[in-house]
Amino acid sequence: MIEVKNLSKFYGHVRAVDNISFTVAEGDVVGFLGPNGAGKTTTIRILTCYQPATSGSATVAGHDVFKESLKVRTEVGYLPENVPLYPEMRTREYLRFRGKLRGLDRPEREAAIARVTERCWLGDVIDRPIGQLSKGYRQRIGLADALLHNPRVLILDEPTVGLDPAQIRETRALIRELANEHTVMLSSHNLAEVEATCRKLVIINRGAIVAAGTPDELRQRITGGSKLIAELRGPNEQVAAGIRELNGVSDVHTEAREGWTRVTITSAKDLRESIYTMSTQKGWPLRELRREVATLEDFFVKIVAAAREETVTPKV
Amino acid sequence: MRNTAAIMQRELLSLFCSPVAYIVLMGFLIATGVIAWVTSAFEPGAPATLRTVFTGTMFVLVIFVPAISMRTISEEYRSGTFESLMTAPVSDFQLVLGKYLATMVFYLIMIAGTLVYPIMMMIFGSPSLGVAFSGYLGLIAVGSAFMAVGIFASSLTRNQIVAWILGTIPLVLLVLFGQFFVQFFEGRLRSFFQSLNIVRRFDQFNRGLISSEDVVFFLGVTVLFLFLAVKVVESRRWR
Repeated sequence: MIEVKNLSKFYGHVRAVDNISFTVAEGDVVGFLGPNGAGKTTTIRILTCYQPATSGSATVAGHDVFKESLKVRTEVGYLPENVPLYPEMRTREYLRFRGKLRGLDRPEREAAIARVTERCWLGDVIDRPIGQLSKGYRQRIGLADALLHNPRVLILDEPTVGLDPAQIRETRALIRELANEHTVMLSSHNLAEVEATCRKLVIINRGAIVAAGTPDELRQRITGGSKLIAELRGPNEQVAAGIRELNGVSDVHTEAREGWTRVTITSAKDLRESIYTMSTQKGWPLRELRREVATLEDFFVKIVAAAREETVTPKV
Repeated sequence: MRNTAAIMQRELLSLFCSPVAYIVLMGFLIATGVIAWVTSAFEPGAPATLRTVFTGTMFVLVIFVPAISMRTISEEYRSGTFESLMTAPVSDFQLVLGKYLATMVFYLIMIAGTLVYPIMMMIFGSPSLGVAFSGYLGLIAVGSAFMAVGIFASSLTRNQIVAWILGTIPLVLLVLFGQFFVQFFEGRLRSFFQSLNIVRRFDQFNRGLISSEDVVFFLGVTVLFLFLAVKVVESRRWR
């Protein structure tokens, strides 16, 4: 449904998106994840025909975003990041206006407005001026607008930013529901959100794709370097040496704690059983033994932290 | 067509929701009232013509027309609604045309307020209706050209005040200095500046003379600046 090939975008000399490629199949729900400033919005703006790419190509629903921009725009429902609306209009007036732009005639338009009003819980505010409404309602109006013409592709830029927890939950439920009928691509800087709503992830950082796949696939790749934590009562050095001899250990770090030795082990394998065997054989009592599985969150935080360091370091 | 109509309708709604519209309407009516009074068009014994009033009105338009058009496109940039418009199936041309038509409807409503002067004149004298009609046609032609310049200015910036200034400056140059510049030039340049003399062209209408040359001139300016505005709106695609 969405195909991006070697897409790059420069703002002057600043590289916003650097040679990215990915595909979104029909019916997929893809989360586009990255820290702020990673290039999410830029990519989305290219896909929605708001901005051109510097190089590379992108097609949405089989149409090239640059050559057949008007066709792409009829197929896409788009929720921009800050949900721009006209504050002086009433909700219904705004949806009518958008319906006209979408080429819906009067009966279709009224039916569509009734449908999205129900879907996005807008009944209470349908005749109120948009300028008086809270951020949560504005977000829902934006979503209602994106759904108005029942598009095949939905592109949502940060759909839950600025909502309260209850609204976030409602919006996520709505997105999951929409995923049954539409191909959805949403961007977020919040991993929990993407995990809760999406079947696939594309992690982007500083304009480049860092990882892509289903959450399970990514998790598997990350657990490769998991950590074991053990606390044994035994002489510090002997414990460390004993553990180093075990198969598959790549790094050991020990720390003395009130007569106990706390060992942090990095290994590719799950060594819990061998550590237990060692403790019984050598007569070192064991009071803690656990495996810390790296989460997607750790992975993601690492990416974000790396990005932050680089921006803090002054450029020479 | 439907898109253009939808954009025009929405723009008119927003215009009438903003205080600027009413300030412009009121200011324009006060200004034309003052002009009618100062030029003593209604003095007993004066000729039953609105020529001086209309000439004065044209100078006032230099300030008021860009005030009508200043928000059209720049406000869309500023509020971000430009993004939702341009990601809907709306062409750049439809956007600019819709904006132009909306501001022209507002403009017609605004100059309709001056209809009291010919009506008063008809009560107290017997003015030539043909001349009054041609004068209004002139106001519409000038207003249309000014509006296109104003919309072009509005397409250049996200700040309404800047759009107003950008729209007013070229109009001031054209209207006030067009006549004076002419004498500093010879030959081709002179005839070029003469052809830009809006005051003279407007005065033709005002005297009841509708010449195709003047009509084409004002229409041409309108089309040129609307075209430029479309190009500016389009330019984000190749920036």
